[in-house]
Amino acid sequence: MRAIWQLWLLPLRHAPLAAALLQSIWLAGAVALGSVPWTGEAAAWMAAMLIGAGIWLWSMLLGMDLRGVCQPDSLLLPGFRRRLAGIGLLHLLQWVLLPTALGLLLGVPHALLAGALLLLLGAFGLASGSERYLNLLVWALFVLAGWKPGLAVQVARALAASPWAVPLALLLAVLLLRLALRNLLHVEDREIDSSPLENTQLGRSRLRGADGAPARRGAVGKRILKVFDATAQYAMAQALARWRARPSAQRRMVLVRRLLLPHDNPQAIALRLVLVAVLVSFYVVVAMHRQHFNAAAVGAYAILLGLTRFPRLGQGMRRMRPNLADLYLTLAPATRADYQKTLTDALLVLVPITVLTTVAYTALGIVFTHAAAPWRMLLDALLVGTGASLVALAVHLIGPEGRLGRAVVDIAVTLGAMATYWGGYWLLGVLGYAIGGAALALVTLGFGIAVWLGAQREYQRRTPCFDAPLE
Amino acid sequence: MSSTAMAPPVAAAPEPAAQARRPVLCVRGLHKSFRKREVLRGIDWDVPAGRVIGLLGRNGAGKTTLLRCLLGLSPIDAGTVELFGEAMAEPGGERLHRIGFVPQTFDLFPWMKVRAYLDFTAAFYARWNHALAARLLADWQLDPKQKIGELSQGQRQKLAIVRAIAPEPDLLVLDEPVASLDPQARRAFMAELLELMRAPGKTVIFSTHITADLERADADIALLRDGAIVFTRPLGELRERMKRVVLARAQGWTQAPAVAGLLKATLKGPEAQLLVEDPQPDSLQALAEREGAALRIEQPTLEDLFVELA
Repeated sequence: MRAIWQLWLLPLRHAPLAAALLQSIWLAGAVALGSVPWTGEAAAWMAAMLIGAGIWLWSMLLGMDLRGVCQPDSLLLPGFRRRLAGIGLLHLLQWVLLPTALGLLLGVPHALLAGALLLLLGAFGLASGSERYLNLLVWALFVLAGWKPGLAVQVARALAASPWAVPLALLLAVLLLRLALRNLLHVEDREIDSSPLENTQLGRSRLRGADGAPARRGAVGKRILKVFDATAQYAMAQALARWRARPSAQRRMVLVRRLLLPHDNPQAIALRLVLVAVLVSFYVVVAMHRQHFNAAAVGAYAILLGLTRFPRLGQGMRRMRPNLADLYLTLAPATRADYQKTLTDALLVLVPITVLTTVAYTALGIVFTHAAAPWRMLLDALLVGTGASLVALAVHLIGPEGRLGRAVVDIAVTLGAMATYWGGYWLLGVLGYAIGGAALALVTLGFGIAVWLGAQREYQRRTPCFDAPLE
Repeated sequence: MSSTAMAPPVAAAPEPAAQARRPVLCVRGLHKSFRKREVLRGIDWDVPAGRVIGLLGRNGAGKTTLLRCLLGLSPIDAGTVELFGEAMAEPGGERLHRIGFVPQTFDLFPWMKVRAYLDFTAAFYARWNHALAARLLADWQLDPKQKIGELSQGQRQKLAIVRAIAPEPDLLVLDEPVASLDPQARRAFMAELLELMRAPGKTVIFSTHITADLERADADIALLRDGAIVFTRPLGELRERMKRVVLARAQGWTQAPAVAGLLKATLKGPEAQLLVEDPQPDSLQALAEREGAALRIEQPTLEDLFVELA
């Protein structure tokens, strides 16, 4: 029982805030369900929504954690599969059987169907938590619903009225569970580790599993990574050739950057932009073709996407500490501060790269939303992107080491940057490009440069650390 | 019945040759703690130039910590470390290039290919023996086009050794360098190490549990115990001075007999096994006669010595 309890605690340990929130949602759903005799059908809907969202997200969290736990070595533990079944049963009892039984007792309409759908959502969450490509299924459903919304509503109503709905939901749930378990219990070789500072991701998705192992990629993901790797190897070879031809401080810095940031070479940046353009085009044209977006909101989203790089940088620099001992010996700096300065100088290149990326994403947004003030958006993105990148680089370099602290810093910087973007957009509209632009530049660049210089000084003051992080 | 008793640590013997030469490494009062656990408790250690030093100690004795502190890879709490006659308060530029280091875990750059990694490293060194690196890659069957992440643990260890040896360093620091190597690779590595040592002034410090390698290299033995270097002595001297004295009698022993130079005593059935420094055969013979026991003086292996002293 202790082992099952430990498994149940995994989401609480991995993401305590999210896990506590989801358990609270379950409690709120149960209270809403219990109040149905007094409050009527509306409370039943509320309970279904809360518990439905809760089971989906909790199962996804559990799936991610189990993916980390289900390693070949763990599978050799005595009774491991039995304990996995135990946690599954506990999960089922809490999120499906209890709410369904309560709904049936209280005579809530469609209680059985709701229970079957809860099971389906749980199975889907578990499967998509352990295999991210399954999330694409949600996309597929959105695409279909987007093409024929009337038909989608009709199908949903017909399913709700059909006696086959419950068996169909149960069948789908069983299939998804089978898929999830097959993935979890499947023994395969570990992916080759990539640079902790790599940048091959196109969105905000995770690069590593809960256990710190590289996230598993599908066939397409592996192909894309191969192309990125090829650009990295080519860029390193070019940098080495240039260095050999004529060594200089600048070329030495390029070499260090090619080592630390293998996927931030011109070819890789171009490839990333093209891939994002393709994905965004697909998203806008196919999935969301009926919706109209606010151009300023899209611009702020471009800022958000651009800044996603920096939390990974902070985390990556910590993960890379043991590797950096070798670089330290190779660079043979005169002083420790020189070594720290080499690192900060090397990483500073991320600022122009992020600004370029943000401006490119904004341009893409301008094209797709037919923005009325494209130059205003671009200037805003350029200024805010620069200031925000400097701040993000600074705080993630010297910021807190703990997961919670990092998350808070990430949220604060991202929301701050998005708010500044909206403020800047308004300012440029009110004061014009010259005065508004100058004011915005003064605020964003002044703040960004000041924070960066302070952080750089602090980083150089610190003793380099080559011990592996304890978390 | 079996019991053991530890004698006080062996005092470091003065070494005239070392005094005559300026040590490559000079450590005084080195303290290092991790949180509240004190790992190194005032290390005093001199390493003369031109020697192979085998650093011995049990698991968790602090060998890795000590080696990392010496190179400035781990901050120290107190004390001083001098490398090549200068304090390690700062890395000191080119001084680091006179050091080759093979860490215990090979946290190199798994996303890099072997060739690119070595080329990258070589680019920063004024002295880099390309021919040696190429030969070792070929001899040790390391594919230059393979990613480091695809190499086995043993292959990574070989690569780390190539990277450390290629700059022909004056001081080679190796932290359990042969732990993951197969016997062929281990012998080849030891051969390379001895070859490197032929050049004048080259010094090697390596921690290992494979005492046969230390014997092959005729190393000086430094023993790390309880957070301190208990002694640093040439292997020949250890062999010459440390003996196992066995006193056997039918009724066995309730306590170890008092013997001059006793380092450790183990009572096992009818035998009292004593590890003794500079045993005096005459006085031992007299003791045996007095106690009605048979006397045997044996030559312990280095591994035996390690087991007894560490």
